[in-house]
Amino acid sequence: MRQTRLTLSAVGIASLFAVTAGAQVSDRKPKADDPAEHAYPALGSSTPYKVKVEWNRFYDHAGLGSILARIHKEFPKLTKLYSLGKSVEGRDMWCLEVSSEKGDAKRKPGMYIDGNIHGNEVQGGEAVAYTAWYLCHQYGRLDKVTELLDRSVFYLIPTINPDGRDRWFHSAQSAHSSRTGVKPVDNDRDGVADEDDVDDLDNDGSITTMRIKDPNGRWKPHPQFPEFLMVEAPVDQPGEYTLLGSEGLDNDGDGAVNEDAVGGYDMNRNWAWDWQPTYLQFGAHEYPFSLPETRALSEFIDTRRNIAALQTYHNAGGMILRAPGREGGVMRGGDERVHQLIAQRGEKMLPFYRSMVVWKDLYTVWGGEFDWTYGALGIVSLSNELWSMRNLDRSAGSPSAEDSAAFLKYVLLSDGVVKWHSYTHPTFGPIEIGGTKKQWSRTPPSFLLEEECHRNMAFTLYHADQMPLLRINEVLMEKIDDGLFKVVVTVENSRLIPTHTDQDVTHHINAPDIISLKGEKVKVISAGRMTDPYFKKVEAVERRPERVEVPNIPGMGTARVQFVVSGSGRYTVTVDSVKGGLLEATQSLP
Amino acid sequence: MATKHLLLLLVLTLGTPRSWAASTVGYQDNKPLISQLKELAREHKKTLRATKVCDTPGKNEVWRVELGVGTEEERAKRPALLLVAGIEGNDLAGTAIAVAWIERLATNYASDEKVRKLLDSTTIHVWPRVNPDGAKAYFTKPQRETTTNDQPVDDDHDGLVDEDGPDDLDGNGVITSMRVEDPDGEFIIDPQEPRLLLKADRLKGERGAWKLLTEGRDNDGDNEWNEDAIGGVNFNRNFPYGFKFFASGSGKHQVSEVETRALADFVIAHPEIGIVFTFGATDNLAQTPKGEAPKRPPTALHEDDVAWYRELGKAWRDGLGLKKELNGVTEPGTFSDWMYFHRGRLSLAARAWSPALQVELAKTKPKDEKPKDDAAKKDDEAKPEKPDGEKKPAEKNKEADTRNEEERSFLKWADENAKESFAPWKDFSHSDFPGKKVQIGGFIPFARTLPPEKILGDLQEKQGRFLIDLTGKLPRIGVRKVEVKHLGESVYDVTVHIENTGYLPTALAQGSLSREILPTRVVLKSEVKSLLSGTKSVALNSIAPGESKEARWVVLAKGLKQLDIEVISTLGGRLQQRIELKEEAK
Repeated sequence: MRQTRLTLSAVGIASLFAVTAGAQVSDRKPKADDPAEHAYPALGSSTPYKVKVEWNRFYDHAGLGSILARIHKEFPKLTKLYSLGKSVEGRDMWCLEVSSEKGDAKRKPGMYIDGNIHGNEVQGGEAVAYTAWYLCHQYGRLDKVTELLDRSVFYLIPTINPDGRDRWFHSAQSAHSSRTGVKPVDNDRDGVADEDDVDDLDNDGSITTMRIKDPNGRWKPHPQFPEFLMVEAPVDQPGEYTLLGSEGLDNDGDGAVNEDAVGGYDMNRNWAWDWQPTYLQFGAHEYPFSLPETRALSEFIDTRRNIAALQTYHNAGGMILRAPGREGGVMRGGDERVHQLIAQRGEKMLPFYRSMVVWKDLYTVWGGEFDWTYGALGIVSLSNELWSMRNLDRSAGSPSAEDSAAFLKYVLLSDGVVKWHSYTHPTFGPIEIGGTKKQWSRTPPSFLLEEECHRNMAFTLYHADQMPLLRINEVLMEKIDDGLFKVVVTVENSRLIPTHTDQDVTHHINAPDIISLKGEKVKVISAGRMTDPYFKKVEAVERRPERVEVPNIPGMGTARVQFVVSGSGRYTVTVDSVKGGLLEATQSLP
Repeated sequence: MATKHLLLLLVLTLGTPRSWAASTVGYQDNKPLISQLKELAREHKKTLRATKVCDTPGKNEVWRVELGVGTEEERAKRPALLLVAGIEGNDLAGTAIAVAWIERLATNYASDEKVRKLLDSTTIHVWPRVNPDGAKAYFTKPQRETTTNDQPVDDDHDGLVDEDGPDDLDGNGVITSMRVEDPDGEFIIDPQEPRLLLKADRLKGERGAWKLLTEGRDNDGDNEWNEDAIGGVNFNRNFPYGFKFFASGSGKHQVSEVETRALADFVIAHPEIGIVFTFGATDNLAQTPKGEAPKRPPTALHEDDVAWYRELGKAWRDGLGLKKELNGVTEPGTFSDWMYFHRGRLSLAARAWSPALQVELAKTKPKDEKPKDDAAKKDDEAKPEKPDGEKKPAEKNKEADTRNEEERSFLKWADENAKESFAPWKDFSHSDFPGKKVQIGGFIPFARTLPPEKILGDLQEKQGRFLIDLTGKLPRIGVRKVEVKHLGESVYDVTVHIENTGYLPTALAQGSLSREILPTRVVLKSEVKSLLSGTKSVALNSIAPGESKEARWVVLAKGLKQLDIEVISTLGGRLQQRIELKEEAK
């Protein structure tokens, strides 16, 4: 023990000596170059960037717009940039369409990704913009990205609630407020709309909590984090404070504070499938697609039947969600399996994320976005709840209030903390205001945001990769008689998602896949679907034998069609699939 | 045809005295209809406004009419009724009744005390034809009956749009039916009426012998006949309550059409509409609809609202001369159901006319012989007790084949009153059915939807009177009494009793449950020195007819001689009241 102490002091002396020996230090300085010129790529998104974006911060609507505009400017052949429509306040919902010039984009399977339907759930915007940025930069460099952009098309819409987004950034809000859009709604049924929103009493840009000293109160400052955290007093002991809710005034003098904020609805309850009115489902608004944003989006999606997969980003909680939104809602067996398989891959790619069914594992939602895209359009639709507090200490369980507070205090050095400070309230008198800033709890801190963007993007690329990939596998010709042949066409789908989900097949949502045979000197005498390749069972069509309708080409499966033809010369087999694309193969009869 | 109607109308409006039963409005094409509405607006500037709503996919215009006096702001504050007709394309009768009603209200405003009082205190909105695309088919050759607009829809989900509509094979200018003799068919000839077909009943040992199709060819060669005609969406299947995805004519989602959206946005912009009446194929007046204890989501009327529907249904049937309930009809996604279930308004719906109605009315004996309701009942009750083994009527009915009874009765009525309604079956050599017996004929389009024009006038008279009475049933708020007590030192105890002088409550049970009808608000407008009890705005829940509810304040009103209050009811109107403050000793 003694010895150790001696050693330590010896080191202490040595270092003291080193400092005083300043004469050995040179004044030379490195060149203040752009460090980027000397960067060496880490694996992931590395390449020299044509568009520089810092992915450790958030961007408002205009910011996301300029990211897309710059990407489009640098990658004009890979992208199209357009507006899907305008929000209530006239902001454009920008869409960057990303696909290579190979083939007609309209006939490629489409992956639709949007974010930020809830104004405060901002990081979906960055995740979508990151996806656009990544795909463009990696095209031609990473084989998988090249393949994806060659054979499919991405519709990327970073924010579908730009009004709510900008309100969250540019006005005082809490982590949970500005979920709505800005169309006025009379939430407190007094005949006036939006007349009593929260108020930023201390002008710090965040809406935090009001507390008042009260000997009969049930709350006390937390002993370890008294500067911003409150705990409930034990039931048999007095507390010191009463919590008065979010910062605000009784603006309309009706005896209630913050009871009718701007907007006051939920865009993710305004979609047509299983829609119910506001009294049964808060936020439903007047009728399905009564809002300009949802209306425009629904028309965009509905008119692009090549869309086979969809992701709509929310926050938070680390979830990969799927329909149905209500008990007894629709999710057909085969479709459930496909959704589940993709989500299970996601659980591996996204630490702390869990695959869940909305009504069963979360809560009931009537009129949600992906309920409509699956139920009405038969699209394989998932929704990720970005960011989980489990990521703070990387443990399976949710962190305690103390663990979270410790992260704020020690890892973020109290960035995000609003210490209790006094304020004189017109109704309550002397009170204190404090808590945590709006970025805390639902969005990741700066150094984890890029990770969140990349991992989720990678998951959507897996999802997109599972869209039907069709190939005319073989065209077998067999002579039956002189000048009479059997042509058996096998079309294979080498991905998980079928050309028609079960929901699609059940309701004939999209036209069937059409496998046809045509040749100048070829006559099709009979044709039909081959349901068993070994026993050669064929369901002959009654009319139009040159054109066989196939209801579905299953995931990791095939469809076979037999044509009985006469004649000679070249003929072309065409596969026309709404979600699988347009394929052709040409052969000749002997 | 259109020109003829227009001329007829001009003659009627110019040449006949303006009395109640004067003019009959016939079946009108859209342009003459709009001209007439414009003309009415020009003639009756004080009471009537006609406004274009939107253009349709078929490039027709939808118009609406507003009746009432005063400025737009004043009209928006009054209790209001909305009449909707022609929401289903084939409802030309509803349109005709609506237009006749508009005309009568406007022309009788000056002369008829009841009408004047009504329009001075009420706003009436009329959408006489929500679906002009569908109505157009009545005036187009070949004539076919459709309920939908012209929005292109791939009805048979084959990737092709509107590629197989009906064809006028016999060239008689109308699309009727086609029956094909075929042992695979489901139908047999009705043994009691060979012009009609019946579904074969296998349990009775019957075997199908005929297929029944719409007149036409299989234009796209898919073994289906006329399965993807032009259009469209039936607006009365396109509203949110009970909407059915993927159902025929329902539209791609709720409120998907420009016309239905215009109507939805209109009623949202006019929360003061307390009663809605819709003409169309659904009906909650012919038969009292069912009620239930509130369910989420609801499947029937709120049990506390049924009585209003029962009474108004009875009044409607009485007005038409119906002696009993007919079968009510409900469909998914109707406008009227949306207005009740989601928007909490009293929402009535009926067919302007129907074969069932006509058959029932025809049963009623001429006036002088007509037995009273009770007498008829007694007669029925007496019969079973008759001796001599005479069969009871119930047993008789069991033996008789009652299938198709209504159709047969109606055909009989049509033979006597509207002979052109049925086109006799005629053989046709059809290339889609080589070697098979094919006949074309049957009821002509609209025969079972529209009454002959000669009885339209009577319907316009009767339905119009019912609508006038109905408009008078809106809730209406008033101040029953005001109590002011001076408690001393300029402190007053003020109580205002708000009453409902109308027939309906200020909110139906569903109106309150759905939260769509706001509470009646009693607002203290004056700035008082101190509000010692009560809130500036007092919210009162639904006030039943004849009932009153109170708003009470204790105020320090130093220096004030009076208090101003405003009463705002969503459906019962608004009023201002000045309350005098007198410093009398207590």
